[in-house]
Amino acid sequence: MRCDRALELMSPFVDGELSGQDRKAVATHIETCASCNALVVDIQHMSKAIAEIGREPAPKALVLRVRSALVAAEDQEPAKKRFVLRRVPSSIVRQAGMLAASCALSVLLTWSFMTSTRQANQLEQEILTAHIRSLLQDSPFQVTSSDSHTVKPWFAGRVDFAPDVKDLTAEGFPLLGGRLDYVGERRVGALVYRRRLHIVNVFMWPAPSLDSVPPMLTIKNGYNLLAWSKNGVTYWAVSDLEARELQRLQTLL
Amino acid sequence: MSQLSDFEKMALPHMDAAYNLAFWLVRSSSDAEDIVQDSYLRAFRALHSFAGTNFRPWLLAIVRNVAYRWLGNRRRSANVISIDEAFGGHVGQEPAEAQIPSEDPTPEAQLLGDVDRVLVRTALDDLPPIFREVLVLREIEGLSYRDIAEVVGAPIGTVMSRLARGRKELRKTLTRLMEKDESNAL
Repeated sequence: MRCDRALELMSPFVDGELSGQDRKAVATHIETCASCNALVVDIQHMSKAIAEIGREPAPKALVLRVRSALVAAEDQEPAKKRFVLRRVPSSIVRQAGMLAASCALSVLLTWSFMTSTRQANQLEQEILTAHIRSLLQDSPFQVTSSDSHTVKPWFAGRVDFAPDVKDLTAEGFPLLGGRLDYVGERRVGALVYRRRLHIVNVFMWPAPSLDSVPPMLTIKNGYNLLAWSKNGVTYWAVSDLEARELQRLQTLL
Repeated sequence: MSQLSDFEKMALPHMDAAYNLAFWLVRSSSDAEDIVQDSYLRAFRALHSFAGTNFRPWLLAIVRNVAYRWLGNRRRSANVISIDEAFGGHVGQEPAEAQIPSEDPTPEAQLLGDVDRVLVRTALDDLPPIFREVLVLREIEGLSYRDIAEVVGAPIGTVMSRLARGRKELRKTLTRLMEKDESNAL
């Protein structure tokens, strides 16, 4: 490979966005070409420095502000309906409306409960909800430690199996801690890992059998969900991390 | 479940990313807040048009559009020039060429060791927004090229060359800033 071609591919090389063949070619080139190698090292330094700046933290009040703006926007939407009802005293309308809405809701819930044949889908939704809920809270974990020997015993007595807890800091997935959650009508263990700014929740519970189940990827609302079973434990990893990186975590666990 | 709570579930976890992108584009925290609010309202109203599976780039693309419109307006109301824009790293700088060592055929030497965070911020601020945004999306948000392409509405090849160009410029600026730092220290 010539230097001009290597220069073209340098950014995607550092970003891990090259196909195997190109990647190898660039790697071979920079082994022998000192000036291209120097550039790669500089790019890596810059990448690291920018990543270390981190996100500009959003003000805490912004969530509240946006949510109230959204509620206001939603209220304005059904303006036509309100016009029809305007002559009736509004408190009666409101009460009747609430009653009707709660009836409708309970009918809907019953119906969806009774006809829910797609349990898998429901489980995915629960996993995702648990993940998002953990992000909305101040802290996604109850026991904070990057030490697997602290986190593992914490689960003893709290869940009915002994989860395999690994700290993967060296592999780029530092363990932040663990917590309990409730998914699929059972108490489950959750390990929280970080990848750059992404939080990964790994939910675990005893599998119905000791058979290994290969990882299966689902995408839901832009989140990646990866499910597999190993050594009698079912795992669900969920994050907004790229699927490829999530799969890497799976191979490490 | 209402449409709004569905939307909130999808969109609220990405608010930090949205704010971060807006902030780096307009470089003002209060403006970034307004942009995030406006973007979320737009995204909520346009939710029916979201057909993909990848929500975050879709949302960030809206944030980006709002931020650029905002930058455009700021430029048009030119009577008032923001302090940021007026002094954005250009105070008392000599023309770039005067300070940069000739960058052609001589072998490149590694110029940057561990880079100071303040300098990186300054250098990043100094880049034109189209290069700044791809670097922020890549390095801070960790987005793939494909996702970045979706956010900025350009082909992956363009993302690739903007990243390469952005890094080249960033390196130049950093080298200059670091030399200046050293000479100040002496």
